[in-house]
Amino acid sequence: MNVVEKLEILADAAKYDVACTSSGVQREGKRGQLGAARQAGCCHSFTPDGRCVTLLKVLMTNVCVYDCCYCVNRKSNGEMRRAAFTPRELADLTIGFYRRNYIEGLFLSSGVTGSPDATCESMVEALRILREEYGFRGYIHAKAIPGASVELLDALGRLADRLSVNLELPSGQSLGLLAPDKSRHSILAPMRHIHDSIAEDAESRSLARKRTTVYMTKKPARKAQAFAPAGQSTQMIIGATPESDFQILNLSASLYTQLSLKRVFFSAYLPAVAHPLLPATDAVQLNREHRLYQADWLMRFYGFDVSEIIDEANPFLEPDVDPKANWALNHLDFFPVEVNTAPLEALLRVPGIGVRGAKLILRARRQSTLGEMELRKLGIAYKRARYFITMNGAWGGSGVDFSRDALHARLAAPIPGGRHGRRADKTAPGQMSLFESATEAALPGTGAPAALPEASAANRAALDAAFAAQRAALEAASPAKPQPIAARAHNRATAQPAA
Amino acid sequence: MDTRRSTLAPSAGLTAPAAPTGSPSVAADIYDEVAYAYDGTLEGLLSAIFASYERRERPTDVEPESRLQLRLGQRLARIETNPSHAARVLAGVRRQCGWQAELALKRAACSDEPDAGTAAYRFVRYAVDEQKRRDCEHCRKRLACKGRGGVGPCPRRRGRAFSDITHPAVERLFRISCSVSQECEHMRQFVRFQHLRGEGGDLWFSRVNPKASVVPLVMGHFVERMSDAPFIIYDEVHEVAGVYDGGDWYLVATAGQGDLQQALPAPGADEALMGEAWRTFYRSVAIDARYNPELRRQFMPKRFWKNLTEMQEAPHGLVRGS
Repeated sequence: MNVVEKLEILADAAKYDVACTSSGVQREGKRGQLGAARQAGCCHSFTPDGRCVTLLKVLMTNVCVYDCCYCVNRKSNGEMRRAAFTPRELADLTIGFYRRNYIEGLFLSSGVTGSPDATCESMVEALRILREEYGFRGYIHAKAIPGASVELLDALGRLADRLSVNLELPSGQSLGLLAPDKSRHSILAPMRHIHDSIAEDAESRSLARKRTTVYMTKKPARKAQAFAPAGQSTQMIIGATPESDFQILNLSASLYTQLSLKRVFFSAYLPAVAHPLLPATDAVQLNREHRLYQADWLMRFYGFDVSEIIDEANPFLEPDVDPKANWALNHLDFFPVEVNTAPLEALLRVPGIGVRGAKLILRARRQSTLGEMELRKLGIAYKRARYFITMNGAWGGSGVDFSRDALHARLAAPIPGGRHGRRADKTAPGQMSLFESATEAALPGTGAPAALPEASAANRAALDAAFAAQRAALEAASPAKPQPIAARAHNRATAQPAA
Repeated sequence: MDTRRSTLAPSAGLTAPAAPTGSPSVAADIYDEVAYAYDGTLEGLLSAIFASYERRERPTDVEPESRLQLRLGQRLARIETNPSHAARVLAGVRRQCGWQAELALKRAACSDEPDAGTAAYRFVRYAVDEQKRRDCEHCRKRLACKGRGGVGPCPRRRGRAFSDITHPAVERLFRISCSVSQECEHMRQFVRFQHLRGEGGDLWFSRVNPKASVVPLVMGHFVERMSDAPFIIYDEVHEVAGVYDGGDWYLVATAGQGDLQQALPAPGADEALMGEAWRTFYRSVAIDARYNPELRRQFMPKRFWKNLTEMQEAPHGLVRGS
């Protein structure tokens, strides 16, 4: 098997890993050495699904001793072709791609062959060749293998820029059910260890920088490589198990605060393999994933607390308005905000004004008074923001009732899809078409947007069947427990609780 | 001196572009019926700005000579590029308007927009006038200030003119600066090097088609990360090549020389293999269930596809002239 065939198999096996970022570390280039890293990262290509390709995202091997039922690489998946890179092959491929400016660095993950330690050792070897033999200064993201020894994890952290451990599923129960070889502890322990090591490394660096004598101290000839300078991240699968958005967002908030994660990625469940415990549906929950990311951004950049975004009474995010607009609609007493005087925190709460827009407003209003014309020039979404702001005392939303229902209707209205592409409005409402079926044309109110595939009844039924099977399996495993937590939280949203 | 103005142009104010209606406080500038033509370089643009002060004129248009189209009744003035004048203007802009405005001028000089030179000129006029209009009466630091009484730049107002983005004299330059900076980012993303193997040694070659002449702005980025091998980034639209020889980098104009790649050695044997590996990788990381071509086109505009390895069909599609 040549390298291209191996690459095909191992890149295909790694494509469900969502974390593909090259940000978080600034490393200047050195004359005579290959590579540098930029704080903001750089995307080098975009796949037909619009996701960016910034790193060479591959598995070391897709042979795996585990049998996680949602994973394409699981042990019992017989038709999967298996392959493995040698450390040298992988390092050469990375250098070859980097030189051609195809990639920003390497994203290395692996299935577990033999033992976690052996797997981790070959990953460390590949990274060592890259960093030490080839002097590569680009970005490296490595997946920590749960169950590998602490020493190997430390070696990995010294060579990589970012480490990540996959959380896989949002609760310990689901994990026990769908990934029987992994446990909550085996995943959280390495995450905690990485967090402690990063903190320790930063602290010893700041102590070493402190001058304690008046004498000039000699600087070491070679700088020690920092431990995972770009921090750690994680990812979980959404929609394979019945956890609510409330649980997911609280989990990610606690990961941000307690383990100082840089990112928590969500991956909408895709039916890669058929299994009785998994939903058999082709409708990917892209809209839900999108709303979760919006909520995640609110927590990380807009100063929202998780309790402001979602509460236990409504455990799922609104499908028709985004979380920020939803907060605004529920807190109309906070609005309108005067754009010419309001502080940054208040501007960030306005739907239609993002971080960039808020900063531009702060910058521009030092010089001139902002009105509608100026706000449009600054590039904020005036159409959305106008109901929630005043400009020098004048409210922007005149003609609309300042009530929850009226504003909800405005904000939830479908966005015109433009003139080209899939979302384009090909026909004007009421226009007759040669190719439209008669029943569709006869329906009143055809201007309404088509329902998302994930909101269809068939999809709902498939999800409910799978979740019922999961609950049954859980109850069979632990008959002493009256009702699992996950099931309790979910039942509010489903119309048909499983018997 | 300028007798033609009174005869040909009825009133200088009539043909001047109308001030935008949104901000009534801005007094419309009175522009002379003269267009400055410079040679298309940054130094040329700065020399033109210098010349407008030296000749006490307010040109309606400041444009590269290759792109300039005279308006009705407009006079043409060719401005000779003068490096020392250019250096004085650049230093003055940095001192009076801050480094962000200096960077914006540099970017505007690389832009292909027809009004980029005019926007840069108008911004400098506006920013310098704003500095002069200030009142030092109530400034607490006026006794210690070097620029007191308007004789020098006010340090407290340095970045202010450029941060007033909604002002018509600033907005256009700000927009142009943003779009050139976006094009620089596209170059950092979508430059694809090919390995050429000649008798003299190895060479990495890349062909790009940006919509602004941004090669001089991105060479530093590539020199930083690929400093161990010589490379060329060839801009086929503007017929300019950035050449890094292993020590320093130069800008070479290739206009009238034909395609640069004809003069270079053929790709090495590893090139086809690596290109194929990259295309394979690109194919296999896509997830069909999430297919969304509009999103891809938004991030990776189609005009770049012809020079992207992964968007080529045949293995040798990228190799031209061989």
